[in-house]
Order: sequence, then structure tokens, then C-alpha cells
Amino acid sequence: MTYQSEIKKTMQWLSTIDDTIFIGQGVLYGDGIYRTLLDIPSNKKLEMPVAEDMQMGISTGLALEGYLPITIYLRMDFLILAINQLVNHLDKLEELSNGIFKPKVIIRCIVGSKTPLYPGLQHCQDHTELLKACLTNIDIIKLTSIDMIKTSYRKAIESDKSTILIEMKELYETTE
Amino acid sequence: MEKITKEELIEFEKEISELFLDKKIHVPVHLSGNNEDQLIEIFEDINEKDWVLSTHRNHYHVLLKGMPKEEFKELILSGESMHIYSEKYRILTSAIVGGILPIAVGMALAIKKKRQRRKVWVFIGDMAKETGMFHECHKYAARHELPIKFIIEDNGYSTDTPTQEVWGYQHTKSNIIRYEYERKFPHVGIGAWVSF
Repeated sequence: MTYQSEIKKTMQWLSTIDDTIFIGQGVLYGDGIYRTLLDIPSNKKLEMPVAEDMQMGISTGLALEGYLPITIYLRMDFLILAINQLVNHLDKLEELSNGIFKPKVIIRCIVGSKTPLYPGLQHCQDHTELLKACLTNIDIIKLTSIDMIKTSYRKAIESDKSTILIEMKELYETTE
Repeated sequence: MEKITKEELIEFEKEISELFLDKKIHVPVHLSGNNEDQLIEIFEDINEKDWVLSTHRNHYHVLLKGMPKEEFKELILSGESMHIYSEKYRILTSAIVGGILPIAVGMALAIKKKRQRRKVWVFIGDMAKETGMFHECHKYAARHELPIKFIIEDNGYSTDTPTQEVWGYQHTKSNIIRYEYERKFPHVGIGAWVSF
């Protein structure tokens, strides 16, 4: 079993849960977010244009209407473009509304690998600490080992809060 | 929904301004006025189960959506003027310019997927209409035929900045060059597996 295959297996498990929907650029086309979504039915996937902040807001709106979005950002560098909806809305809505609205979104993002090809500064940044500094109500989990993958997603599903799960692309080929 | 008249709307804001003058409200208030007729007409088409998404200037929207005056006044007195949330009346606001736009689109997308007949009504100002977020959200919602209406409340200003003046008045000459081509190579790589 590799890190990548465990992610794929976990995504398949998530797809069996009612009301989950996978949303992002590359969920339906290309290699299906690094080949981890290829076996998930098309009706569970919503391909998005390049509009990262809109994607995060749409995910929040879907959650407010009863869906459980798994909103995916192919690289953590791109998640930064969604910071307004993440920090000012998803993270704050429960507090702002005195608990009336508690949208729950699962955010999946990947820190790009520097090997075997170095993609440059804009494709492999790790902003985990930045997110920890500016989010107060969203859990943040960095998946640093295969063991963590299923348990962390299970925790995210059981939680009543939104969760960001950060993958390390450089670990994709590692094995148990 | 309980109907509210133009006179009641005006009287409500007058009362809130007096309470503010008496220092009974300890948060900023953003009052509405001179748009009662337009809003009353728009709300004729809004149903109880529809969502209304609004901004920090939301008093008229909240009253027209059905929240009783006394209940709303209590919320304002408790410091909630800019941030009104109600599941019962299906109201959600944001004080970030354009912040409600993609949330509204997501709600409308969900309603369409569930094949329900409800709608989302999203009220924004004229500066929010000029943002990239509006451009994205309006385009996406229109092309996917989502059950959503965007209402632009144009008073010419964003806070005190004249919206059109700062954006520059509309010009007629295009400064865009666009050409089309068929791609030869895949998005990345050469189209063959290379093991490094």
C-alpha cells in the first residue's frame, strides 16, 4: 500500500457517504487529482473553473443546504487564493450567527513535491502555519504518514467542524 | 410572509437612528432609505422559503423577509445590526464586500441539484457588482441556470468613494487581443511517461 493508494481508498470511502460531493478543478478531468478520484462516480464530482475563492464560497453554500463538500485544491499555493471565503466566512459563520449556521466543509489540499522535477516557488509552498495562524474554528491536519490518512478523514467526518487535510505529494510513493 | 409598508420601513429606520443618537446601540449602523418602493416591488416575488442574502446594510431586507420589527430591533440593540442570521426567515449576511456572492451561488446550486423550487436572492451594492467575484458568480450562475437573482442596489457610492469614478467611466475601445488555437501538447509534460 502506498500513501497515494490509501488516499484513493479513503476518497472511495468518502464517496459512499450520503451527501458528499467532490468539488474542484481536476476532479473530473485530467488525472482526477493525481489519480485518486478516478473510481468515484461522475455524479459525485463537480468540476470547477479556476476560481478558488468562488469555489470555497460555493462549498460553504452547498454545506448550508445540506451537502458535505470535499473541496479540493490541487496545490496549497492555490488554496491561498481562497483565503477570503476561508477566513472571513467558513471559519466565522458559526461565531457570527451565534451558532445558527454551522457549515461543514472538508478541504483537501496538496503540498507540491520538489522532486523528481522542481516545479518552482509557486507550486510547492507549505502554508500550514499561515492557516493555523488565521483560522480559529477550522481543524487543520497535515497527513505526514500513511497511518494518519483514514483516521484523520474519519475524524473529519465525525467532527461538527470543518477540517483542512493537507497531503504531501512527496510522500505519494512511500509505502508502509 | 408578513407584509410591511413603506411607512413602517421609514419609521423603523427613524427609530433606529434615534436609538443610535441616544447611544443605545454600541455597534455601527448602516441605515436604509429612499429605496422602499423598489424593494417592496422586488419582495413581491420572494417567497418565505427562499433565501435572502444581504450585506451590512440589511435592515429593509430583513423586515421585508418577514422578521417582526420588535424581534429585529432587539437584535440591533444587542449589537447585531451588520450581522443578521436567521434560519427561520432564511437570512444570511456578510459585511465583506461581495462575500455573500459565492455562498449564494452554492446555495442555488444545491437547490437545483435537489430539484426544489426555492430561489436565492442576493442583494449587493454597486461596488460589489464591479468586483471580479461578481463577474465570476454571475457568469457561473447564469450559464448553469441556477435559481438565483442578483439585485444591485446602486447608490453610486462604496462607503464614500464614487464607484464609477474610481473604476473609470466606460470606454468603447477594446484593448484585448484574443486568438484561438488547438493545443499540440498536453497541459504538462510531453505526452509520454518519463521516469526520472
